[in-house]
Amino acid sequence: MTNQPDRSALRNLQDKTAIVGVGTTEFGSIYRDLDPERSAYELGLIAFREALKDAALKRTDVDGVIVSRLPHYGRMCEMIGLRHPRFVNVLPGEGRQSGIALQYAALAVANGMADVVACIYGNNGRSAGARYGGENRGISTQAMFEAPYGMTSPGAVTSMMFRRHQYRYDTTTEPLGHLAISNRANAALNPNAVMQRPITMDDYHGARYIAEPLCLFDYCLINDGGVCFIVTSAERARDLKHTPVLIHATSQASDITPVYVADDFWHEPMSQIADDLFTHSDVQRDDLAFAQLYDNFTPTMLFTLEGMGFCEPGEGGDWITPERIGLRGELPLNTGGGHTSESYMQGWALHVEAVRQLRQECGDRQVDDAQYGLYACAAPLATGHILKRDNS
Amino acid sequence: MTTDLRSSELSYEKPLPPVLELTKPFWDGCREGILQIQFCNICDLPWFPPAEACPRCLQDDWEWRPISGHGTVWSWIRMWQKYFPGWEPDEYPYTVALIKLEEGPYMYSTLVDIEDKDVSCDLNVEVDFGKVSDEITLPVFRPSR
Repeated sequence: MTNQPDRSALRNLQDKTAIVGVGTTEFGSIYRDLDPERSAYELGLIAFREALKDAALKRTDVDGVIVSRLPHYGRMCEMIGLRHPRFVNVLPGEGRQSGIALQYAALAVANGMADVVACIYGNNGRSAGARYGGENRGISTQAMFEAPYGMTSPGAVTSMMFRRHQYRYDTTTEPLGHLAISNRANAALNPNAVMQRPITMDDYHGARYIAEPLCLFDYCLINDGGVCFIVTSAERARDLKHTPVLIHATSQASDITPVYVADDFWHEPMSQIADDLFTHSDVQRDDLAFAQLYDNFTPTMLFTLEGMGFCEPGEGGDWITPERIGLRGELPLNTGGGHTSESYMQGWALHVEAVRQLRQECGDRQVDDAQYGLYACAAPLATGHILKRDNS
Repeated sequence: MTTDLRSSELSYEKPLPPVLELTKPFWDGCREGILQIQFCNICDLPWFPPAEACPRCLQDDWEWRPISGHGTVWSWIRMWQKYFPGWEPDEYPYTVALIKLEEGPYMYSTLVDIEDKDVSCDLNVEVDFGKVSDEITLPVFRPSR
């Protein structure tokens, strides 16, 4: 690359903004209760109501709204009676957007475009019959050059990448099993998680394949739910109910290709993000009390750990051990159960879990000394943040 | 050599690609046993899937040029999940491969004349063609001879 941008400017955002309220719908109970009339907006509304209550803010304090997976900001604003927002945005319903929503909210607040931004997500995919595969309409690349071969689904492309990783580094599926089992063990301590029955390595290896080499337990759930987080300035946050969770550092990087996969397993964008987070902040990897890693499919976590330098490329398979990633380990991962066990809220619930851990509200699954936590999402459009418990 | 991938001419239920003005030369080529992709006439960059302009020059001065048909298997999967109509129960799991063409671009496809146990990443492959309708012949890949 020529003309390297000066990424140190990211430091200007450091600790300027905070998450002051988080809310989710129920996940487990509505998983077992399909409702074709359940709308994504309704789920977003419930989550917004919970987040407001959590923040002890009034509806009228909110002057900015970012929605995702909800088709229109206008409908959401109508439903929450927000007639004169100063800042709105709509992000598509794809997982990589959850971290981006937080970034936009932080940018808007830090630069005076809004005082209080509600980021609202609603997902009625399970009730609506979403399958995340099999699309074959229109004139997309997918319809023209993939579907004729039966190629479809984000899981299948991730499986392609993992097979390549296996070939390059002799990686086995064992570490993926550890990730799935750990997620489930954490979910068993999370009363709101959809899947709470612990699984064993035998269960993992006995599960049916979806896109081989990936099996059922490597895959995220498909469930309904809503999530909201509310962002304001660090200054204002200190006058509110909870200990603020500061947005200490954040970064975005990308590798956008026609075939989704990356020959380096997204090492380049993820190492760029790690560089931004750890070079332009006061925090190092050892300071993290946990990491919430985007787990649409378990290999994505492995790629993230390697890309962000927790281990060398190719060593993720050995690095991932139950002792290391468990709640009492050196880097607890996906402490609420992640997408494979808690809820598939496309990164949004991972943010909420990070906030609750830093506020030390997580009961039986609370990790020790939660001062700093990481969120990261490896994808063609990748994000990462370090969130920090405010002690000032 | 083009083979007919259909079990009978009337029974093909698998997804068929829509043919656009932009993509018609690709499918016309396949029907004649020629794999061709777009090349920029200014900078000689090849690209796939088809697009209206060179992603480097941003100009629409390009042409379809036959390519070698050689590549390697970047990776491959066996699909067990039933997402599409048209695959008979005994066709599962079916193989999908991501081919890295010698010229650079990647192409999703499938493999023929090889058993799954013999497939490996970086396997050298060459294009073959499979007829699926009067209009559409799909490029598929076989181990290089």
